[in-house]
Amino acid sequence: MIQETLKTFKPEQQNLLQILHALQDQHPQNYLTEQALEETARYLKLTKSSVFGVARYYSMFSTTPRGRYIIRICASPVCELLKVNTVIAHLEQILAIKTGETSSDGLFTLELSECLGQCQEAPSMMINDKVYNNLDANRIKTIINEYKQKNHD
Amino acid sequence: MQKTIKLTIDNKVVKATEGENLLQVAKNNNIAIPNLCYHKKFSPTGACRLCIVKIKDQNGLIASCGVTAKEGMIVTAFDEELEEARKYLLDYLLSEHDETYDATYTDEFRELIFRYGLDKKENRYFPSIVKELAYPKDETSPILSYDAAKCIKCFRCIKACDEVQGKNVLSFTNRGIHSYIIGGFDKWGESECDGCGECIQLCPTGAIVEKPHREEIQLNGDIKKVRTTCPYCGVGCQLELFVQNGKILRSNGVDDVSPNYGRLCVKGRFGYDYVQHHERLTTPLIKKNGKFVEASWDEALDLIAQKFTEIREKYGKKALAGYASAKTTNEDNYLFMKFIRLVFGNNNVDYCTRLCHASTVTAMLRALGDGAGSNSIEDYEHSDYILVTGNNMIDTHPVTATFVKYAVQRKGAKIVIIDPKWTPLVKDAYIWLQPKLGTDVALLNGMIREIISNDLIDRSFIEKRVDGGMEAFEALKELTEKYTPEYTEKITGVPARLFTEAARIYATAKRPLIATGMGFSQQVTGTHNVFALINMMLITGQIGRVGAGLNPPRGQNNVQGVSDVGASPFTYPGYISVEDANNRRKVAEIWGVPFEELDGEKGLSTVEIMQAAYDGQVKGMYIMGENPMITDPNLNHTEESIKKLEFLVVQDIFHTETTPFADVILPATAFAESEGTYVNSDRRVLRVRKAVDPPGQARQDWEIVAEIARRMGKPLGNYKHESDIWNEIAKTAPIFGGISYDRLDHQGIQWPCPTPDHPGTATLFTEKFNTPNGLGKLHPVDHVEQSEKADIEYPFILNTGRILYQYHSSTMSRRNKSLTDFANEAYLLMHPDDVDRCGFKEGQMVRITSKRGEIATVVRRSSEVLKGELFMPFHYPEAPVNKLTRDELDPYSKIAPFKISAVRVEAL
Repeated sequence: MIQETLKTFKPEQQNLLQILHALQDQHPQNYLTEQALEETARYLKLTKSSVFGVARYYSMFSTTPRGRYIIRICASPVCELLKVNTVIAHLEQILAIKTGETSSDGLFTLELSECLGQCQEAPSMMINDKVYNNLDANRIKTIINEYKQKNHD
Repeated sequence: MQKTIKLTIDNKVVKATEGENLLQVAKNNNIAIPNLCYHKKFSPTGACRLCIVKIKDQNGLIASCGVTAKEGMIVTAFDEELEEARKYLLDYLLSEHDETYDATYTDEFRELIFRYGLDKKENRYFPSIVKELAYPKDETSPILSYDAAKCIKCFRCIKACDEVQGKNVLSFTNRGIHSYIIGGFDKWGESECDGCGECIQLCPTGAIVEKPHREEIQLNGDIKKVRTTCPYCGVGCQLELFVQNGKILRSNGVDDVSPNYGRLCVKGRFGYDYVQHHERLTTPLIKKNGKFVEASWDEALDLIAQKFTEIREKYGKKALAGYASAKTTNEDNYLFMKFIRLVFGNNNVDYCTRLCHASTVTAMLRALGDGAGSNSIEDYEHSDYILVTGNNMIDTHPVTATFVKYAVQRKGAKIVIIDPKWTPLVKDAYIWLQPKLGTDVALLNGMIREIISNDLIDRSFIEKRVDGGMEAFEALKELTEKYTPEYTEKITGVPARLFTEAARIYATAKRPLIATGMGFSQQVTGTHNVFALINMMLITGQIGRVGAGLNPPRGQNNVQGVSDVGASPFTYPGYISVEDANNRRKVAEIWGVPFEELDGEKGLSTVEIMQAAYDGQVKGMYIMGENPMITDPNLNHTEESIKKLEFLVVQDIFHTETTPFADVILPATAFAESEGTYVNSDRRVLRVRKAVDPPGQARQDWEIVAEIARRMGKPLGNYKHESDIWNEIAKTAPIFGGISYDRLDHQGIQWPCPTPDHPGTATLFTEKFNTPNGLGKLHPVDHVEQSEKADIEYPFILNTGRILYQYHSSTMSRRNKSLTDFANEAYLLMHPDDVDRCGFKEGQMVRITSKRGEIATVVRRSSEVLKGELFMPFHYPEAPVNKLTRDELDPYSKIAPFKISAVRVEAL
């Protein structure tokens, strides 16, 4: 599986970030396994540490297992003014985790993010690639349930 | 010539070379601008900001490491503002730094802390937050520890690994204040790190410190630092040994001097522990009733003198022979050679060169007139095309490889590798040609034909510098005509498009340098291989310039020197034939002996001596620091031969696989207990200096040799010091004529150096070759089928070679924990398809059988070898691969074909 993904890219060092994204996305636990990093290093003729250093530098990458859905909630000033903290608290409560952790069913990981560029409809968050705006307690509940439902089906 | 410029730093006018870095200019002029991340061995980083200065007409405080010095520049290096800023920066760094110090490393940061008075807490502005940061430690490497709390993230280690060593094993993880250095996936011990320790030597703070002897070393205490030459391969790296209480506790590279400019490999840095190993021989041993018993020097030496004399009287003088040693000094070997010629009275003296580069030397002597490397090691850095053939230099000559990698990685040079087996340098290669074993001549003839048919020859060079000019060339052209790309591809298995391109770019390169190796020379056709290579070089005129030529790196520390000082059955010191009566007359005069006493008939070579022992012609043997029971080919035959000897003396530092067969074993000194010189691969005479006392009663080799001679009634001379011997060498060998110990004190000198005012010779053959008529000679050679081929009974071809962490018969290397932690197990590499076809599993024990013997080892799946071919390292006595190899010799050089043996492999 890793090899198949690698082969969709040319073995050029400039493709490193895209390869890491692709490998992370294809993993059900949304992270870069040591095997994925190792095969990437070999494919691009890089040393292990060069690949690991990049994977650990960018907050979008993880080298430890995460949930299927990564919730990135905006913690920048506009969202903060519009009480994103209550939204975070609410999320922590319904997922029964703290920021940075993964829910026990392995579905959600809660992370903070810099500005998502949605200030006109703040507070905002992303779940994987999808953006959600105008967040409040009810809307959060509906969204999370949708994902739970989707996964259940 | 670069322009000299003048600039002013703190009102002082200083000179600099145009293009030089401002911080380096200040350092060169003893203006001590503080700095931590900068080092002249690599590009400036600008991370620590301590080297800030003010430059007239420029704004702000500027990091001087990133500034190029310019004519007329006016620089302020020290004023109140700059010093305040530096102190602030140091204070800030200190707040996230663990300041404990155990005096096991040099701490440049700590020195600055004291210089700026920050050792006193009241002078600091920032409180320490190092505990809260909870930095990790990495102890997974066998040779070093990394402590992130002592790391200032100057990135010197990363640059040392990347830019100096060309390995790029290190990187950093995380961001900002939480970042730290990593090897591999944050586990140094599982990274690609090969333990060279460049990062340790360049770490300014003790974040990276070596593990061996860290419990013992105390830099505040009484440490003696002794500069000497590394005892492993033929690069001749300059080491600084740290000696405390008579024990070596550390080895660093010596900066600023050739050939290594401070660089080392894992063996040079960590391979010294064998010197102080408890198994060292400490007293003479005499075999009595099949057992070795301790003896006094007098008893042992008298017995040896008596036995050698008896053999000479009973069987004649040709019944005695000796192996000199590429491990010991020139002085030791010169006296050993003198001993054989004067006391034994024959020329039966040889050593391991016959097993490694004899074919290269033979071919080069015939074609070019000198058998040594034509260029300096650092020339690789200036080459634009490097042809590496049968040479796994990252494993065998790691420091040479750093120059090659620099040329490729930093200057865009192209490497072409000819090797049947993958080597780590392939990662940096532009083209890798993978010929079938034993097809080198065909491949090179194919390349020559490609060069000729594209008209890429150098006519004027051929006419001026080649014997026979265009006529000789025509003969080569005619012979190579049949090596069409298709024909060559058929023989070698190498795709035509690859070797034809490799040939064209070689011919058109500006400064192409060739590195040959054992894969090329250790064949029955070894001399022919080198002839073919020299043919290609001569018709393209690619020799005789800086960066262009032919460099066969020497395997042992002093292989070059032992040949140079004449420990050869064919040549006297300075490569003068034993048959040259005029030279013998001259030497007899220097030695103060009658001319008639010097035998003018060539002696027996290494493998021939063993064969003569087998045939009963050689009855007594003196082996100094060699281990033929591992390194000679066809070991079962060697064992039978050695058993037939009536009397054998082995002089060594340890018991080896050869010592059980000895009648007397003599304890000699190791490199760090000896005075003298070695000659490295680029003909550089380098000093070896005594750092510690020898164990027990061990004596330096030359003293033992001289003592036996005296007791046999033929004293070799009156030598008070090794320099007395050297001065005699310089008299007998014109190539050394101008070299004395005084001149070698700071840096080695490359021969030929005929007179005391001669600077030495970095590049050979610039004006003429060293042949009698000064011209290079073409030797057109045809591809010959190998006499040993795979067949139904022995379906595989076995290749042998070396690995980085072990060294030759492993007598020395295996007695260093740092090295055995990396690699300590024999194995057989087999192509995955063959492994599956044979039904083997990874790590399974197998028996390998050739017509000559059998051994057992474990099999490893590896696509490093071609299908049908196998590879095995030859270091390990428990799987002595030379039981399988042949002693069928190359007719010209007498080298044995270690690289090609037909074998079968069966499950055990």
